[in-house]
Amino acid sequence: MGRNTVTVLDIAVRLLAWLILAPLLPGIITKVKAWVACRQGPPVLQLYYDLFRLWNKGVVMSDLASPGFLIAPAVTWMAVVAAALLMPLGRAGCVFPFDGDVLLLIYLLALARFCTAWGAMETGSAFEGMGTVREVSFAVLAEIGIITATLTLAIQSGTITLQHLFAPLPGPSAALLAVGLFIILLAENCRVPFDDPTTHLELTMIHEVMVLDHSGPPLALILHGASVKLMLFAAFLVQAVLPVGVMSPGASLAVLALGVVLVAVAVGLVESLTARLAFRRTPLLLTIGFLFCLFPLILTWMGGLHG
Amino acid sequence: MTAMLFFSSLACLTLAIGAGRHPRLWLTLVLCGAVGVLTTALGILGHAEAWTWRAAFTLGGETPNFFLDGVSAVFLIVVSLVGGLSAIYSREYWSDRQYPASAARGRSWGAVLILGMVLVPSLANGLHFLLAWEVFAISAYFLITLDNTKSEVRRAGWLYLAASHVGTMFLFAFFTALAAQTGSWDLGPMRDQTALAPLFWLALVGFGVKAGMFPLHIWLPSAHANAPSHVSAMMSAVAIKMGVYGIVRYSSWLPLPDGAGWIVLTLGITSALLGIAFALAQNDFKRLLAYCSVENVGIILTGLGLAILAQTHGQAAWGRIALCGALLHVWNHGLFKALLFFGAGSVLHATGTRDMSRLGGLWRAMPWTTGLFAMGAAAVSGLPPLNGFVSEWIIYLGLIKSVMTKGDMAQAIIPVVILLAAAGALALAAFAKAMTIIFLGAPRTKPAITAHECGWTMRAPMLVLAGLMAGIGLFPTLVLAPIGNAASAWSGNWTEIPAMPVADLGQFHLVLFAVLIALAAAFMSKVRLQGLRFGPTWDCGYAAPTARMQYSGGSFAGIATEWFAWILRPSRLVRRVRGHFPEQALALERIPETVLEKAIQPVSTGVVWLADGAKKMQHGRLHIYILYVFAGVMILGALAFWGGIQ
Repeated sequence: MGRNTVTVLDIAVRLLAWLILAPLLPGIITKVKAWVACRQGPPVLQLYYDLFRLWNKGVVMSDLASPGFLIAPAVTWMAVVAAALLMPLGRAGCVFPFDGDVLLLIYLLALARFCTAWGAMETGSAFEGMGTVREVSFAVLAEIGIITATLTLAIQSGTITLQHLFAPLPGPSAALLAVGLFIILLAENCRVPFDDPTTHLELTMIHEVMVLDHSGPPLALILHGASVKLMLFAAFLVQAVLPVGVMSPGASLAVLALGVVLVAVAVGLVESLTARLAFRRTPLLLTIGFLFCLFPLILTWMGGLHG
Repeated sequence: MTAMLFFSSLACLTLAIGAGRHPRLWLTLVLCGAVGVLTTALGILGHAEAWTWRAAFTLGGETPNFFLDGVSAVFLIVVSLVGGLSAIYSREYWSDRQYPASAARGRSWGAVLILGMVLVPSLANGLHFLLAWEVFAISAYFLITLDNTKSEVRRAGWLYLAASHVGTMFLFAFFTALAAQTGSWDLGPMRDQTALAPLFWLALVGFGVKAGMFPLHIWLPSAHANAPSHVSAMMSAVAIKMGVYGIVRYSSWLPLPDGAGWIVLTLGITSALLGIAFALAQNDFKRLLAYCSVENVGIILTGLGLAILAQTHGQAAWGRIALCGALLHVWNHGLFKALLFFGAGSVLHATGTRDMSRLGGLWRAMPWTTGLFAMGAAAVSGLPPLNGFVSEWIIYLGLIKSVMTKGDMAQAIIPVVILLAAAGALALAAFAKAMTIIFLGAPRTKPAITAHECGWTMRAPMLVLAGLMAGIGLFPTLVLAPIGNAASAWSGNWTEIPAMPVADLGQFHLVLFAVLIALAAAFMSKVRLQGLRFGPTWDCGYAAPTARMQYSGGSFAGIATEWFAWILRPSRLVRRVRGHFPEQALALERIPETVLEKAIQPVSTGVVWLADGAKKMQHGRLHIYILYVFAGVMILGALAFWGGIQ
């Protein structure tokens, strides 16, 4: 087998892993929430059934919407999946590493956001306008948090290639960064306390209200893309704070997988134990998330100066 | 060879000034001139060789002296490209049929503007530079005020003229001081004459006004919004770049004072962040685009400031990366801003309004404009796989690499990276707003319903620009070598190509683009196969949606406007619903030109007040004049007396 064949196989295996495993996370979160509330809850695989059902349905579209209404979810999904493919998996590394690929990852997520906003505004509904505005505005705070976390990692590791970015951080920095990235994960993936993915018709919603008018295969792509994005953020968080890069290849993958599941459990616990924030408090919590990313940056900086 | 090509293109452009009354001849001449300049510049950039030409005669006591190197070529390429395309665009947009009074005038001044902007980066004699600068500045005034029947347009023109001349005043001071200190009007590298360093501040202010750098941008929004759209495109994509050219050029030629890099970097990042915050709050879509130019000039200056810092600290590795990013952003901004203004012009042409909140749902009537504007919006937001991302990515690369060196300056660059990320996210919000409020949803007013697509002569320039944008995004390696040459011309001692994995980025973009197209096509056919039904917007079951219920431009920017209220200073007039049979409710919001209205106008009002007061002293009564003289003598005597005692 030539090198190219290996690369193609590698990409195919990773792609399948991302696509197939991602919808597990929302299932785990729902299950955790059900356990905390002493209910049985839907099966862990519920999202798979939903996706399958939606994928084979027809589409109802607003009279006002352009073909962009259908293409936007496809582009969003594609951008998120491309970002996921850039992500290293423990010691298995990246399939396509180059300097500055972490910036490409961040901007691919921005592309996804642009297309989601586009799809939402197609329908001319005030609800969807509201969600879009919140999404693009809060993203400003989330984005500075992510770039701060990236800077921390870049200074610690001395590179801006995702392959080597995740050098082990000292304990306190790792703990702070974990909290910061977790808050951003909650915001970017529309989780309580920022948003509630299970409600409808609430004036405090962000993402769910943007996809109100979608149906059939486009909705399937949106839901699946959201789960891939959640897994992407979880993988970023786990690798940023756990010393995955210095373990043996097998152990690193196992720790990564376990970490991602733990993040999902943590999200489930947060969702069970906290209420959604009042809408005007959302920017404050995001700012706190940004500060939690900024402190490790300062720590890393000072540590580097004295070390 | 270069001389012949360059001078014949100058001749074509000069002849075009006289050919304003003959549209076809004019267009041919302008296009010939533009193509000639483009070829010359590409040749110089490709071979990385400077070209000089000194005349045997004198003009105004000085020998004309032409000097073209990589730095000037970068700017000449934008001038000729956008100049030529907007000449094509103007044929339909500002046609003789629609504007019999001003079309011919517009063509003549358009040629003057292009000629002036070709001369500015190619003249290496201070006196002639100032002449070309004035020709270019004044022709822009006449172009902005083409439609001089509207008072708003005349006001914008005056503001432009006043601001432009404040800038020119600084440039006069700069060039005359330079000539006085060097003893010659000739311009060129003078790094070793360290006594010249303070002159850089004069150049920075003088060129900064033209570049629209915050807070010197006051003329820019109203001028760009009120000018005809093909002129707006030239102003925004090219004319402000002449200011950028000046800053780039003189940061390379002059010895730099301490802190020059920091000041340019700070001005850059301030312009980037505040420019886009202002853009987001605008309801006039051409004003939004104009403020976005303030942002992009800020991004360019951020890269340049970093390069200057690297130069003074001897850090070629990341300085060169940042400079390449800044110069590439000059091209990229030229391309997508011209495209966006052409698109805006096409909307304005079809609907007659610049107010976003009166539009909506234009995609049905204007599919081409919608698609092309969307592409411009994505590119200006820096989204992969388009060109805007490539240059922003390179600038980020330079910034982060400088942080990673952990040098004494890296600390201060960390906030720059974070603010640039914030500006990027705000740009996405601003263009998501412009794109979706103008083109998507339901038409809000009648002009939006009766809109029509623009014709081919307006569409073709946009298609060319879109093609170039996609080209740079997908094949960034093609532009890396010429941009690298220009960066070398900026700083003679940076010769090695820094590690910039642009080829990898290009490959990724290419694959991403191909898969996106394939996937979107496959997905559309799947949806069609499974059945596609249309119905009213569900909107959670609300039965009677109206176009007025949609999110408007103002509400779209609401959250971010709150965050930036400290500088945007929005004023609101709200009449709430009261009583059992409420009268009409009302909510008006206005975003002022903060710098102009809160800083410059009060100061100038104060100056006028003082002057009015002083005027009262002059009244023509002789005996009181004698009193003044007497009092003056007494005061002088008293001063002499007290001085003598001490």
